[in-house]
Amino acid sequence: MQLQAIVEILGLEPLAAPDLGREVRGGYCSDLLSDVLAHAQPGDLWITHQRHLNVVAVGKLRGVAGIVFARGLRPSSDVITRAEAEGVNLLVTPAAAFEVAGRLHRVLYP
Amino acid sequence: MRWWRADLHIHSTLSPCASLEMSPARIVAEARRARLDLIAVCDHNAAENGRYVRRAAGGEPVVLLGMEIQTAEEVEVLAVFADEEHAFQLEQELQQSLPDIPCDPDLFGDQVVVDEDGEIVRRVERLLLTPVALSLSEVVRRVEDRGGMAVPAHVDRLPGGLLAVLGLLPDGSWPEAVEIAPWTRLADAVRAWPELQGRAILRGSDAHYPTEIGRAWTELLCAEPSLAELRRAVQNAGGRAVRPSQETKEEC
Repeated sequence: MQLQAIVEILGLEPLAAPDLGREVRGGYCSDLLSDVLAHAQPGDLWITHQRHLNVVAVGKLRGVAGIVFARGLRPSSDVITRAEAEGVNLLVTPAAAFEVAGRLHRVLYP
Repeated sequence: MRWWRADLHIHSTLSPCASLEMSPARIVAEARRARLDLIAVCDHNAAENGRYVRRAAGGEPVVLLGMEIQTAEEVEVLAVFADEEHAFQLEQELQQSLPDIPCDPDLFGDQVVVDEDGEIVRRVERLLLTPVALSLSEVVRRVEDRGGMAVPAHVDRLPGGLLAVLGLLPDGSWPEAVEIAPWTRLADAVRAWPELQGRAILRGSDAHYPTEIGRAWTELLCAEPSLAELRRAVQNAGGRAVRPSQETKEEC
């Protein structure tokens, strides 16, 4: 399913949206970037609380479809600027990680 | 110039996770036994016991004022200072940004300030073993603005290691030096994290118990055991160098 459709269904707010046409194939929840580097799959929507600038590099390296910041946590403007430059979609939701992951799972695997 | 032995990562009675035997006098005795020339006491988000360790040491070994700061990303950074004033300023700012969780000694252990004579100065009530509300880059900026040196602690280890948590070294010139865990083989660290190549690699004991002091250290080729010379050694300035000790046998 296209990220654009998921953004609408889950009510995600785009912070950086260079390519909302990306295909979302799955999801991954983790705040350890080393774990995401090792285990996230290309096309995953990555749900996290981690806001360090490295999330953009890790997201790009793994080829995730986008990064969702849960619980309304917003990264700083340099993270958003970098994501736009690197072509990495960033989104934020007031929902807790458990909630957004559950809803994403229902959408992807009905 | 000559080789000096440094251990920048020693906990004291002020760390809830450390033994109550880690009094200033005992730390100094064990550091001398381990032939250390330069040490830093790095309790979690707290510097206060460093003052008493320095008094107990009377210059042998040289004692830097330090802290192991836990950033908002849950990355642990050693911050070392030559002077008490700057260390205590930062300590105060950090402790203001700690969540107000009381330290339950049964769950976490005691947090005790102990002087050079072994007398209890006070107990710290707020739990120190928790991240501050400041980001890694903000913490590094505040350390460097005060003339301190910020070194990410045991970068390869969970919890708290920068590479283990953040996956990559951050962009930019920081860090010049990184600490690896006592049990990590140097060759393994560089193989797993090629970005460590070309950076100064330090090793500290991360001692929480007296017998752990001396299990790991860093050798510095420089003029004297001091923060200024440590910095120059990390930069390989004027023929200076750093060399981590061999790994310890067991994971701890």
